[in-house]
Amino acid sequence: MTGPAISVENLRFSYGDLEAVKDISFEVQPGEILGFLGPNGAGKSTTIKMLTGQLTPKSGVARVLGIDVSTDDPELQARIGVCFEEKNLYLNMSAKENLDFYASLFGIKEPDSVEVLRRVGLADRAKDRVKTFSKGMRQRMMISRAFINKPDVLFLDEPTDGLDPVTSASIRKTIREEAERGAAVLLTTHDMFEADELSDRVAFINEGQIVALDTAENLKLKYGTRSVKVRLRDGDGVREEVLPLDGDGSSAKLAELAASPDLMTIHTEEATLDQIFIQLTGRGLEG
Amino acid sequence: MSRPTSRPAIIRALLKKELTAYSRDLVFLGLTLVVLIAAPFLFHALPDSVDESITLGVYPAIPEMIGDAREALAEMGATEEQLAELDDIDLAAGEEGLELIEFESEERLRGVIEGSLELWRTESGEMVYRDKEAGDKKPEDAERVEPDIGVAFPSDFIAGVAAGKDDLTVTVYSQAGIGEEIQTAMKSFVREAAYQIAGRELPVGMPDEDTIVLGDDRMGDQVTMQERMRPLLLFMVLLMETFSMASLVSTEVLQRTVTAVLVTPAKVGDFLAAKTIFGTLMSLSQALIILVFIGGVTSANWSLILAVLVMGAIMFTGIALFVGAAGKDFMGQLFYAMLFTIPLLIPAISVMFPGSAAPWVKALPSYPIIKVLVETTAYGGTWGDAWGSLAYAALWLVVLYFAGLFALKRKVETL
Repeated sequence: MTGPAISVENLRFSYGDLEAVKDISFEVQPGEILGFLGPNGAGKSTTIKMLTGQLTPKSGVARVLGIDVSTDDPELQARIGVCFEEKNLYLNMSAKENLDFYASLFGIKEPDSVEVLRRVGLADRAKDRVKTFSKGMRQRMMISRAFINKPDVLFLDEPTDGLDPVTSASIRKTIREEAERGAAVLLTTHDMFEADELSDRVAFINEGQIVALDTAENLKLKYGTRSVKVRLRDGDGVREEVLPLDGDGSSAKLAELAASPDLMTIHTEEATLDQIFIQLTGRGLEG
Repeated sequence: MSRPTSRPAIIRALLKKELTAYSRDLVFLGLTLVVLIAAPFLFHALPDSVDESITLGVYPAIPEMIGDAREALAEMGATEEQLAELDDIDLAAGEEGLELIEFESEERLRGVIEGSLELWRTESGEMVYRDKEAGDKKPEDAERVEPDIGVAFPSDFIAGVAAGKDDLTVTVYSQAGIGEEIQTAMKSFVREAAYQIAGRELPVGMPDEDTIVLGDDRMGDQVTMQERMRPLLLFMVLLMETFSMASLVSTEVLQRTVTAVLVTPAKVGDFLAAKTIFGTLMSLSQALIILVFIGGVTSANWSLILAVLVMGAIMFTGIALFVGAAGKDFMGQLFYAMLFTIPLLIPAISVMFPGSAAPWVKALPSYPIIKVLVETTAYGGTWGDAWGSLAYAALWLVVLYFAGLFALKRKVETL
């Protein structure tokens, strides 16, 4: 198809009096990973629920693969993959049985479930019941389930939440492979490192609103300040000085420190997404 | 990329998953197997016949009663031929299943009936009384005789009846547990005895026989304990499956696996349809398995039994959907399951005590199901007999099934 895989215009949703999503608009192109970065309760999961047909938007228009999500068109579900935040797997069924079952709902006659499990490193546990799996293995199962129908759009809600770095890195690699295959990926996270590393673009969402949307690099350039940290010997101790690169007179000061016999190290520094988020919203990502 | 699949294919996939999940739930699988094995075993362990005999205690002994009357009747002008007829009096004649035990005194008759005195029959036929409180030992090689009812005639009964006296009092003693219908029957028996002696219709109204027969007249073919248990056992299977089904539904809701299903081409309707089909098939198939072992199905009644079991299975599936949706955890699920199933069990239990169903029991949703099962398997009921109950059951089925369906649909959509 041509055009965006996901197109959202002025989308709104509220739980009773609580407005969870307030007039958000964005697009995701095929093969692109858009990271939804925000703290818990910011509206990330509600947005995914609307885009996957679990919730009906109160107003606005959302199209996935050109299909209006409020029309309950079964073709939409046939072409998306969803990884939920909660590990909603059939615990008494094996890994392969879980994948075979979901594949059958998509009308896939002979699913290659073991191959899908191999991608997430679970092929050797294909016949084991999911209830015997560790938290990290269950999360990898969740990811593999989202891949079973080779979706054109992937919705991943906190895919690496609470996992160890090795498992997280493995899952990120698999997500990147899906994007390279051409799938559009909408990823929610409150892990700025994950958003930075994985996302082609990042949307900061806070209190139901997108407060910034761009590539991580552009966000840093736009909202962050560049600086240099200089460490110098100071008697028996160490002294640090941080010099803003964009400020007046910083070049002369840097040259002076660089020439000092007490110089130990010089490091350039840039703002993190976490810092930019705090700068834009006044709150942290863990809140 | 996959394409939307057909609704039947989705429902088939969901059913396959239900079967897998069911077979992996060892608790309910085990309980189901226990019920399937225990129900036929229990059924066949129950008596398949009814003890129709009644033991009647009489005072005074018949010869004694006749002896006292002979002289008085002769004085009243009775001929030798008429007096000879007295010897032919047999109170138990023609009364199938009636055993007469003659007592030496009214006190002993009363003591045996009320249980303060025991009566034993030795191998030689001798009757031995045992007063436990007095320390009497149990006689050896003897069987206990327990009259259900005792009749004490006045010593001048025969002569008095013959003379047309209407102030004669016959005392009938009965155990506290003897049913009113038996007591009424005994009163009729005394009147019949008096009729034989007097040789004429006594000026006493005989009770209308129809009024002492409760339900269908099964004279000589009473409902056995097995027949009474049959609907209860079938109901136990349905109840067991209600618990199993509710557990499957609530697990799906609590673990939110249903939300994962609903982001695939499967819709809420597919999910509910699969649950309904699976729950109904499981209940029905197990009820039919039980029926194979406990009998009751004939070529004449199979279609009616199948229809009523299908209705029962759908009704209980509706309850399971409701319980599964309402219970927030295992205890909550157990609470709601009990809340529904215990009242529904009452009609099945009431079958154990024919004639005992109170009007409010008849209003319960399970009553028409049980009624049709009992009437069909025990009394040869037909479609013509059952249509009223089936219509009433259908009304409850619609109410309960759609209540369950609505509750689960709402729950799933708001997860």
